[in-house]
Amino acid sequence: MKKLIAVILSLALVMALGTTALAQDTLTVAFSQIGQESDWRTANTDDVCKAIQDAGWNLVYDDAQQKQENQVKALRNFITQGVDYIVFTAIVTTGWDEVLQEVKDSEIPLVLIDRFPQTSFADDSWFTAFFGGDFVEEGARAARWIVNYYKSLGRGDEEVNIVRLEGTTTSDPQVGRSKGFDDVIVNYPNFKIVASQTGNFTSAEGQAVMESFLKSVDKIDVLWAENDQMALGAIEAIKAAGLQPGKDIIIVGCDGVKLAFEAIVNGEMNCTVECTPLMGSRVVEVITGLEAGETFPKIVHPVEYVYDANGGIAYTDDGTALTRKAADYIAERLY
Amino acid sequence: MKWKFDSQHILKSKITWAVVAELLILLVCLIIRPEFFEISYQESTGMLYGSIIDILNRSSEITIIALGMTLVIALAGTDLSVGAVVALSGAIGLKLMRWDMSEYPTAGNYSVTPLIWVFLVALGICFLFGCFNGLMVSRFGLQPIIATLVLMVAGRGVAQIITNGRQMTTNFAPFKFISQGSVLFLPMPIIITAVIFILMVLLTRKTSFGMFVEAVGINPRASRVSGLRSSLIIFSAYAITGLLAGISGLIYASRIGQNDSNNAGINYEMDAILAVVIGGTSMSGGKFSLAGTVMGSIIIRTIITFVYYFGVAAEAIMAFKALIVLVVIVLQAEPVREFISKRRKARKTAIRGELHG
Repeated sequence: MKKLIAVILSLALVMALGTTALAQDTLTVAFSQIGQESDWRTANTDDVCKAIQDAGWNLVYDDAQQKQENQVKALRNFITQGVDYIVFTAIVTTGWDEVLQEVKDSEIPLVLIDRFPQTSFADDSWFTAFFGGDFVEEGARAARWIVNYYKSLGRGDEEVNIVRLEGTTTSDPQVGRSKGFDDVIVNYPNFKIVASQTGNFTSAEGQAVMESFLKSVDKIDVLWAENDQMALGAIEAIKAAGLQPGKDIIIVGCDGVKLAFEAIVNGEMNCTVECTPLMGSRVVEVITGLEAGETFPKIVHPVEYVYDANGGIAYTDDGTALTRKAADYIAERLY
Repeated sequence: MKWKFDSQHILKSKITWAVVAELLILLVCLIIRPEFFEISYQESTGMLYGSIIDILNRSSEITIIALGMTLVIALAGTDLSVGAVVALSGAIGLKLMRWDMSEYPTAGNYSVTPLIWVFLVALGICFLFGCFNGLMVSRFGLQPIIATLVLMVAGRGVAQIITNGRQMTTNFAPFKFISQGSVLFLPMPIIITAVIFILMVLLTRKTSFGMFVEAVGINPRASRVSGLRSSLIIFSAYAITGLLAGISGLIYASRIGQNDSNNAGINYEMDAILAVVIGGTSMSGGKFSLAGTVMGSIIIRTIITFVYYFGVAAEAIMAFKALIVLVVIVLQAEPVREFISKRRKARKTAIRGELHG
């Protein structure tokens, strides 16, 4: 009996040594994704997972299926497994203090992407890097594009009625994009938001809300949709009202998905503000850098553009960056 | 004498209160902005155009499902899987039409599979899903909530597997016709809903099926003892609901020209159950009213359209909806209706007493 136990123990020891040796060979990077809610999210997952694998590292991927408790569980599993890095995007903004404290205590570097969770930590030492869209800037870009587009037509002083389709109420992108848009448009009193309603980031609701706007608002000049899906839904509603989308009503969306590019090329939409899901290369860059002992600015936003039918409209605060022509970039758009 | 009986009957009938609730909401609309009721003819689409048409049009998806759900609820059951079946139906439909998605990502006015097969396969599979629910409840005797929960969770997953988690798009005109086309100046969804409603009324009132459903719903054991094949009746109700959820899913997909496996049919099970309950069918089974269900669905859509039209703040929508639904349901509660009709009766007797006395 004693012999048996000894054999088992020594076997276990050998196996444990074996795994440690293996783990030292390559890095293990864990990625906790929130679930597959949209095409954008699918592109995000694919890109990050592929980049980690292409870098030759072990990937531990967890799909939380839209549930916070699954993400908490996944993070705890990552700690138990002793992974080298954790890549994390938070499904909701709050409720992470406890588990993120555990991550901090385990001293595994935490790389945040896409969404930034709100925590009550005293300093920012709990995360190593954040890479994700600047939602406030995206909203501001949409507003600047509208104003500059009207100026380019020589109609900058006209009364312009804007209707807005908001994202899911209180979600991070909705709050940011609404704020950014409001902050810019308030400086131009002739550009007015005459109606604003949530379309929950979906085509179907965007369509139903636009249908009502077309009846309740006397004159709509511009539609600003906080994602492309709602803009695409609204296009159908505008057609059903006997109007020409993109001409009778100027349509601005957000995200820069391929469907929006197609709509712009077909003249049914006017502009889309990019919010890129391609974060894989940056994740790899950060981890490689950290391994080599480099330091980074903690928060970095991706380089993003604004696309429209003809290009050449300024969309940044300083007015230097000009929009790109959607037709030139549609072929390389994968999502 | 006859009139008095009728007035009592009307006051006690649940559908009356559904109609009253709808009229009250519309009255508020009329007071705030009479333009709400404007209906014009839209030449470019050949359709009538107005908020009232929107309400009827957009209530279609829920109405169609709720008609099936009425039978299920009359049998003291419930079907939680309908929302997932809506997503599944759209996913199958789009997959069949856009088999070539990977080669030709841009949507065009064509379909890889003939449209008739798109409909048959999508609806056939949804029907089978309904049969699965029916089998679980009627043969294996599972609790309806548990039995249908299986497909509620799995159905959406299957939809995502079918489409590889992608949104497929189409501009195929005949497919889009089922949501954007028109017959008799009305949008197609209204026509489809009307046809299904008539068929369901014929099925339940012109054959004995409806009576059997009520009998089984009131007392399944007594019905079985008296020779009714209650398990077959329960099975049929779930199968029909699966099929109807499939039709609803195709309309949904047609409206946006794409499958949206993540968002299609979200919370439809709740809205459909709500429509049935507002329409006066009791969750404990027994007597049911298809017309009441249609009314219930229209009330739900009227509330949503009201919110959009009059710009209720996004944060307040849920609370607003809940408040109106609460009022409608309380009005219909047995004690409240008893109370109102008794008071009326008492007042009449008192008046009559004064006159004669």
